[in-house]
Amino acid sequence: MVDRIVAAVFLLLTLGYAFLARGYVAQYAYEPIGPRAFPMLLAAIAAVCWLWLVVRPKSVAEDIEGLPPGGVTKAAIAIAGLLAYALLFEWLGFPLSTALATIVIGRLFGGEWKRLVVAGLALGASLYVLFDRVLDVTLPLGQVFGG
Amino acid sequence: MDNIAALMQGFAVAATPINLLMALAGAFVGTIVGLLPGIGPINGVAILLPIAFAMKLPATSALILLAAVYMGCEYGGRIASILVNIPGDAGSVMTTLDGFPLARKGEAGVALSISAFASFCGSLLASIGLVFLAPLLAQWALAFGPAEYFVLMVFAIACLAGMVGDSPVKTLLACVLGLALATVGVDANSGVYRFTFGDLHLSDGIQFVVIVIGLFSISEILLMLEQSETGAQMLKASGRAWFNLRELSMVKWTIARSAPLGFLVGVLPGAGASIASAITYMIEKNINDTDKTFGKGDIRGVAAPESANNAAAGGAFIPMLTLGVPGSGTTAVMMGALTLYNINPGPTLFTDQAELVWGLIASMFIANFMLLLMNIPMVGVFARMLAIPNWILVPAIAAISLVGVYSIHATTFDLVLMTALGVVGYVLRKLDFPMAPLILGFVLGDMMEQNLRRALAISNGDTSVLYGSGITVAMWIAAVFMLVVPLWLRWKRNNKLIEVK
Repeated sequence: MVDRIVAAVFLLLTLGYAFLARGYVAQYAYEPIGPRAFPMLLAAIAAVCWLWLVVRPKSVAEDIEGLPPGGVTKAAIAIAGLLAYALLFEWLGFPLSTALATIVIGRLFGGEWKRLVVAGLALGASLYVLFDRVLDVTLPLGQVFGG
Repeated sequence: MDNIAALMQGFAVAATPINLLMALAGAFVGTIVGLLPGIGPINGVAILLPIAFAMKLPATSALILLAAVYMGCEYGGRIASILVNIPGDAGSVMTTLDGFPLARKGEAGVALSISAFASFCGSLLASIGLVFLAPLLAQWALAFGPAEYFVLMVFAIACLAGMVGDSPVKTLLACVLGLALATVGVDANSGVYRFTFGDLHLSDGIQFVVIVIGLFSISEILLMLEQSETGAQMLKASGRAWFNLRELSMVKWTIARSAPLGFLVGVLPGAGASIASAITYMIEKNINDTDKTFGKGDIRGVAAPESANNAAAGGAFIPMLTLGVPGSGTTAVMMGALTLYNINPGPTLFTDQAELVWGLIASMFIANFMLLLMNIPMVGVFARMLAIPNWILVPAIAAISLVGVYSIHATTFDLVLMTALGVVGYVLRKLDFPMAPLILGFVLGDMMEQNLRRALAISNGDTSVLYGSGITVAMWIAAVFMLVVPLWLRWKRNNKLIEVK
């Protein structure tokens, strides 16, 4: 059932894509195929395929492996953690945001609190030195600290 | 022999200290990336690429680094397959079938050394094939017009849909999704902004590193959450460290068959190392399995997939370098690397960028020797990395992924987009959508559209130009063939299964 719902969502997204593409017309057309033809072609192919995945008979549909118990919560925490990591990356700086992300993600993989704090700080600091100082890949030190 | 002369010049490029260092570093990092479950060649190359770019490495050195990483991955994947029974990357799935039983019998050392040797032979054959076949193909491809290119890309997609994944519809959808993502940004021909929602960050289109790292690394992190927390138990690399002559003579024909076949599969656009190793394993099993030893620890069952996946990895460079149509997900990322350096892959690459191409090919010979030397005596060092627990490995992968994405444009926007794509990738992968075709579609998207528009502009809108020449007709037929034959085989197999039931 989940697969049909996801396919239906993607079908709607495809229709939205096609709707937007319809409006892309060049002001001065000097070629037979404008900017909207290729996206419309893609949308047509995709719409047919997604529709098939929504309505296909049960005998053809494959079984989707479900999540283990507590899987949804874990996945939600991980997604929130990664999103927070991305959003705080510049503001808190690389070393600190990495330490925090290590603690959150590491917890989900069964790490102990104490070890994670140490490992997180070490990871943040060592990767910062490796990339920013040794390899010349500039990383933020944190806008909070005026960096 | 122009090829040999050019190759010698390539060696002069590859043997400069910086390029030798890059090959060595790439081989080392690649082996580690390959052996760690969770990161494979595609995200390994995708993460390193922006870092190499940020380090201001010249294009040739960056490509040498990335190619060595790719080759190293095909070597490294087998270590995890043999010792832990978990394939380190997709190309070494088949290696677990006989590798792990061998290790359990106390012959891990033999399995590791014979598979390293098989990998070496596969890579060597592919490098030689590259020297002789690539310039020929490039010459031939010079005759391609926009219409031929467009049909060639349709052929590549047909190859994918027919061979990758269990459901052709899902593979096709993944591919179309990639093509659609490529349409984001300003249209070069008309200046129309497409799907940018007025956001300046998107006017250049989505950075392909963001897509690759999001879809592969971030979604992989989410998928890894489901694994049991008690990691699989690891066997020690026990027994003899080297294979003996009897074992060598046992596998010589296996390697002689599997390496060329793997190479050919690699050359086909779209089909990569995982398909090559699966096909050759099944063939060797059919030929040799008279005593029912396959699956219980037969060294031929390790030699076949390992020589094939390395040969396929090398073969995948051919369509990328000569046609600009990558032969695998990883070469698709490398093609993105070329575009990042403003180098257009395609048949003119061999003439315009001779130094880069031949330097790259020569470095593949060098990296292959480095990998063989590294992989037999140092296997214990690499094996120890398998003991790194997930609670520190996964945050480290996340951190390096963010560094890779951040190093391109240094914007929070890209990081958030990467995370969002990671969630989309996670959902799609849970539903068994293959991701490599999506990357391929994304890399091909712009070229495909441009060639279609150019072809129709030349013919003034007459679509018959798309099937007007001998080459296009041949490729349409080949595309239908690649699509229909695997479907027919699958249909036949399913019918058989139903009968058995």
